[in-house]
Amino acid sequence: MFGLAFLSPLFLLGAAAAAIPIAIHLFYRRAEPVVEFAAMRYLRAAPVEQSSHRHLRELLLLALRVAAVALLACAFARPYLTGEAAALTGEATVVLVDTSASLSAPGQFDAVRERAGRAVREAPSGHAVAVLSFAHAADVVAPLSRDRAGALASIAALAPGAGATRFRAALERAAQELAGRPGRLVVVTDLQQSGWDAASGGAIPENATVAVEEVESPAANIALAALRIEGREAVAAVRNFSRQPVADQVVFTLDDRRVGAVPVVVPADGSTEARLPLPAAESGVVSASVDDRAGYGADNARYAVLDRSNAASVLAVTASGHPSEALYLERALAVAEGPARFQFRALSGATFSTLGPAEVEGVSAIVVLGTRGMEQRGRERLAQFVRSGGGLLVAAGPDVEPAVIRQALAGVAAVAWTSRSGGTLSLAPSDTRHPIFRLFGGGGALGNVSFERAALLEAPPEAVVLARFTDGTPALIEEGGHPGGAAGRFLLFGSDLNYRWNDFPLQPAFVPFVHEMLRYLASSRATRSEYLVGELPGEQGRIAGVAAIGAGPAARRVAVNVDPRESDPRRMTAESFQAGISRLRATAAQQARADERQQEDQQSLWRYGLLLMVVALAAEGLLGRRLG
Amino acid sequence: MSAPRGAQGELRFLDPAVLAHLGTLELKSRAVVEGFLSGLHRSPFKGFSVEFAEYRPYLPGDDLSTIDWKVYARSDRYYVKKFEEETNVECHLLLDISASMAYRSSGVSKLEYGSMLAASLAYLMHRQRDAVGLTTFDDRLATMLPPSARPSHLRAVLVALDTLAVGQRTSMAKPLHLLADAIDKRGLVVVISDLLDEPETVIDGLRHFRFRGSEVIVFHLIDPAERTFPFERAARFRDLELGDELMAVPSAVREQYLGALRETIERYGRELGSAGIDYRLMDTSTPLDFALMSYLSTRGRAR
Repeated sequence: MFGLAFLSPLFLLGAAAAAIPIAIHLFYRRAEPVVEFAAMRYLRAAPVEQSSHRHLRELLLLALRVAAVALLACAFARPYLTGEAAALTGEATVVLVDTSASLSAPGQFDAVRERAGRAVREAPSGHAVAVLSFAHAADVVAPLSRDRAGALASIAALAPGAGATRFRAALERAAQELAGRPGRLVVVTDLQQSGWDAASGGAIPENATVAVEEVESPAANIALAALRIEGREAVAAVRNFSRQPVADQVVFTLDDRRVGAVPVVVPADGSTEARLPLPAAESGVVSASVDDRAGYGADNARYAVLDRSNAASVLAVTASGHPSEALYLERALAVAEGPARFQFRALSGATFSTLGPAEVEGVSAIVVLGTRGMEQRGRERLAQFVRSGGGLLVAAGPDVEPAVIRQALAGVAAVAWTSRSGGTLSLAPSDTRHPIFRLFGGGGALGNVSFERAALLEAPPEAVVLARFTDGTPALIEEGGHPGGAAGRFLLFGSDLNYRWNDFPLQPAFVPFVHEMLRYLASSRATRSEYLVGELPGEQGRIAGVAAIGAGPAARRVAVNVDPRESDPRRMTAESFQAGISRLRATAAQQARADERQQEDQQSLWRYGLLLMVVALAAEGLLGRRLG
Repeated sequence: MSAPRGAQGELRFLDPAVLAHLGTLELKSRAVVEGFLSGLHRSPFKGFSVEFAEYRPYLPGDDLSTIDWKVYARSDRYYVKKFEEETNVECHLLLDISASMAYRSSGVSKLEYGSMLAASLAYLMHRQRDAVGLTTFDDRLATMLPPSARPSHLRAVLVALDTLAVGQRTSMAKPLHLLADAIDKRGLVVVISDLLDEPETVIDGLRHFRFRGSEVIVFHLIDPAERTFPFERAARFRDLELGDELMAVPSAVREQYLGALRETIERYGRELGSAGIDYRLMDTSTPLDFALMSYLSTRGRAR
């Protein structure tokens, strides 16, 4: 069920202009002269039109003209398809069951099942009932129906997971399930304080009420808050969420073999570290665990991966994916050997758009040499890549469209450049201490590079200009890597890297420049060997342990751990929870508007409207010529 | 181009449109025939029309007033002019008065042209002492004056032609067969029509006359606009007979129209020729003496 909505419906008034062709049609429809003729016998032998056919054709012509005007008005009104056509009828009760790690204490989830079951049974008789489980994401376990037995059975099958509590995501999913119906949401939760995540979206419809079924939290919880490898030592941080000091021991394993245990005494509401030297190993999985039987079970263990990824995986996005479009980059990277080697792959923009999250996850750095064929999905993937810590290099060459990159990286980096021509330029580093230029010392070797053409980069205030052309304009800009921004790094190079606008690939400085630049970009990604539950896509991202990411030679293992915030049993009151929902409601309209804009932007139906209008006008022209 | 010649005083080249304004049909037909006959003496077809200028040596007993003294002056021999035919022919004029004959793009309509042609022929026939009859028809017989050589009969024919009323749709088969059956004496049948009917039925009807032993001459009248289809703008063409309309863009249909017309004319020429029927396509802007010439050549066979 899809409906059509408009972002700027006032433009639909323009459709009134469709009256113009109608008026013209009515005014001129009898304009053809009537000629009395005798030799009709011979005229009938020619392929002439009967008047009725003519009228039909005229009506078709009129319809095409009216359609062209209406489509133009429609395109200006920015149409988009809404997920649901209209509010459904009938009230509903949606039961949201918290299955986050903070409900993994002994006996806690039995209470959750009991309260959720009660919510289903006590739902008003006329209501349809749905059951959703939620932690970092929400899943429908029993879709909206009148089958209450089915809903109760689905609740009985639920179990606590390792995810973190995210109320907004859960409420938003529940609102979708309501699909405009009036109804009530029953949230069965421990009201964990960390559950309101400002980063996620969410909106509650006005006609939905929210009730909370509280589940008790444990009085104490011991959690392994962190595990890291420092040199040859494994370091575990233990956190005590209780008012009493706690004595325990941290047990370390390497590839499931116990390597030792470290006794710890953790002060009340404090933390301590346990260190243990590890046997010499190039790879393996280290785990640390505590024995906390009263608190949450999910946060009693933590994992770390010792594997060293030897090769940085570099993905080049080119115009058509032909090897020649990234030839010099490939050759430059191919000369690196040993631990510093690169794995290189070139794809077209269209192919890149089809990659799944897992395939991009294993890539250390992406180099954009062409944007042709890069669809919306590919653009989003680029932005997500930088947000999640990936390194991105854009070479502002002839195949890269600034508007595409600007739109793709909106909110990640402020990118802008214009093309220019004329004047031979060369390159000079602005800061020779930067990791990319450290190797070049004074940068003399770069001065031999001759740039026939270069883009005029616009450096935003928060960007760092790493190199400039000899006319003083920026040649290499870095964005990202700063607090509050994207986790990854973004470099914008003001020319191409494939011997089209410059002779850089033929210069001796090209290979070390490319190596250092990509190593620098890949470094932010390579260090990340730990993810939180819910950060990785797929089933392996939902459970704590070790997950494999990337594909082929770029595959590597990473640790997946419980969000440390989930170990904090501090609760909020039901009033605070309701206040949070009120804030959601207040921003719902704003959110809805933003969603509409995003939806419209993604669908871009106005393009199809304009295309159809052009088709209608072309058809009208052809038909008009036939009519004479 | 015929009007300027008319202005030079040569009546035989009078444009039918100019002729139409001369006055009564009698006057018109006289103008045509006299002009035609006066021109005939100077015509290169002199020997062809022996009926009007036949000379023979003087024989004792001949009227002295018939001796041509000019010939005598040139040849020193006596010759007499012979004006009268020795054998009279029964001529039937068949004029189509269907609604399509009322069409005119400019000048005269096909019906006006046809009536002038019929009147001229009647006048000429009368001068030759031939019996002339007139039949008008559309999808049935409308007027029928049996052939007669009496002077008062010519006037009746001319009056009938002068007071023609446009009929209904063309359907020539029935009137032609009826008339063919009604003619009991061999003679000359002159059909004046735009032939806007099924060629097969028309040809079949005309063959019927030939079967009965009559000589047939067909004047196929066509308007200049029908012949060239000179229209430019898209228009709704309304059938004069049926009243229905066809929308057509002339530039798009002209080629097919002219092709269909040419094909029909060629068929009439071919099939009527093979049946021994004299077929003449007459543009309504063509001077009438061409038609008279055709008549005379066919009459020679009918005698």
